[in-house]
Amino acid sequence: MKKLLLISLTASLVVVSPLHSQERAGKPDPSLVLPQDVNKPAPRLPDGHPDLSGPWDGCWKTGPQGCYGGGTNNDMEKDLNMKPGELDALLQPWAKELRANRKEKDEPYVGCLPEGVPRVSPYPTRIVESYTSKGLTHIFILHETGDAGAHRQVFMDGRKHPDDNDLFPTWFGHSIGWWDGDTLVVDTIGYNDKFWLDGKGTPHTEKMHTIERYTRPNFGTLLLDLTLDDPGAFTRPLEYTFTFKLLRPGLEMMEFICLEDNEYGGAAGIVPADESGEKEKLKERQQKQ
Amino acid sequence: MKAKRAARLVFLGLLCAGLPAFAHHGFDTEYNQSKKVSLTGVVTKVSWLNPHMRIFVDVTNQDGSVTNWNLELTSPNNVRRQGWGKNDLLPGDKVNFEANPGKLVESRGALRLITKVGDNHPLFVRGGPEAAQEGYKGDSAK
Repeated sequence: MKKLLLISLTASLVVVSPLHSQERAGKPDPSLVLPQDVNKPAPRLPDGHPDLSGPWDGCWKTGPQGCYGGGTNNDMEKDLNMKPGELDALLQPWAKELRANRKEKDEPYVGCLPEGVPRVSPYPTRIVESYTSKGLTHIFILHETGDAGAHRQVFMDGRKHPDDNDLFPTWFGHSIGWWDGDTLVVDTIGYNDKFWLDGKGTPHTEKMHTIERYTRPNFGTLLLDLTLDDPGAFTRPLEYTFTFKLLRPGLEMMEFICLEDNEYGGAAGIVPADESGEKEKLKERQQKQ
Repeated sequence: MKAKRAARLVFLGLLCAGLPAFAHHGFDTEYNQSKKVSLTGVVTKVSWLNPHMRIFVDVTNQDGSVTNWNLELTSPNNVRRQGWGKNDLLPGDKVNFEANPGKLVESRGALRLITKVGDNHPLFVRGGPEAAQEGYKGDSAK
């Protein structure tokens, strides 16, 4: 109990001063840029916009729930420093019930499917500002994670979201972006409802709309203010800040093909559910025979 | 060169970046947190595969039989960022290790710590450098 209290106190202290902390438990993290370089000015691209390249690491501090950078991970309520019961108050009754009944083993992510945007990948990330003969038409967000090699695509050419009939739900949604001064705004709709918002199973619907605001206040830091608005599952919009730290020079993103040897559950004989639950049903039938 | 590399490995040790995959899933569900084994053996295989790498170690039991322990770590990418190279741990290397046994099969465990016999410092500690330096009270995922 005492240890938990100490950990949560420490975690909350770190959250309060993210820009000052380049350390874990008092020791510098050797994978990140040096503390003396963090506060240098953020670089800019030739057209004057902030350079958001990275690679960034979102998994640079640990708490009772594991590593995080301020976004959701294993337990949204704890990861966002909410009071016990605070998340339940934000969820509609059906969503609360589903969250209480879901089991970790059934999350699509343990089967190497995408984590989804609001969970904010803690793995190294690059924001690729893609310039063509027409200027900055696309930004691609690349995560080093078991997302089946997927990437996010942000349209920067001024287009609107598609009409409903042309909006097919996808894991990463349809993203349009623009600059608001030095802030990159990314507006996304068209999410499917398959991914979970945390390891506990916080659900969402296809009505979910996210607004991400990326700023680079200094050389070593990328801030993401994320607004999650899902009138189908939540009682009001939710907002939180995720802090990324810059990896030190020489460290790059690496290949991560999650499916090459995914043995999740093997050490405990756990069978993750497939989408239709057919594996579970088959197992039950076999046991009855 | 080798000594310098070993020193760098020790210094770089074991960061938070060593934690994420475990901290995401499965650790509590699959491995017995309240039990810990401390054994010595010979590496038979080092599997650099995603999402989690594995080290296989032959341990000779008291009755003379040999059990091949299957030890799960974090992602190979995280381990590489700790400074491991392809050849830093090879089949045939003698190691001391600590692990949490698996819930189904004890010898399918989650690696907590591994040190090459003869080295003063561990090659890998789950939870990061402060875990090793604070007398290793347990991983920070709890």
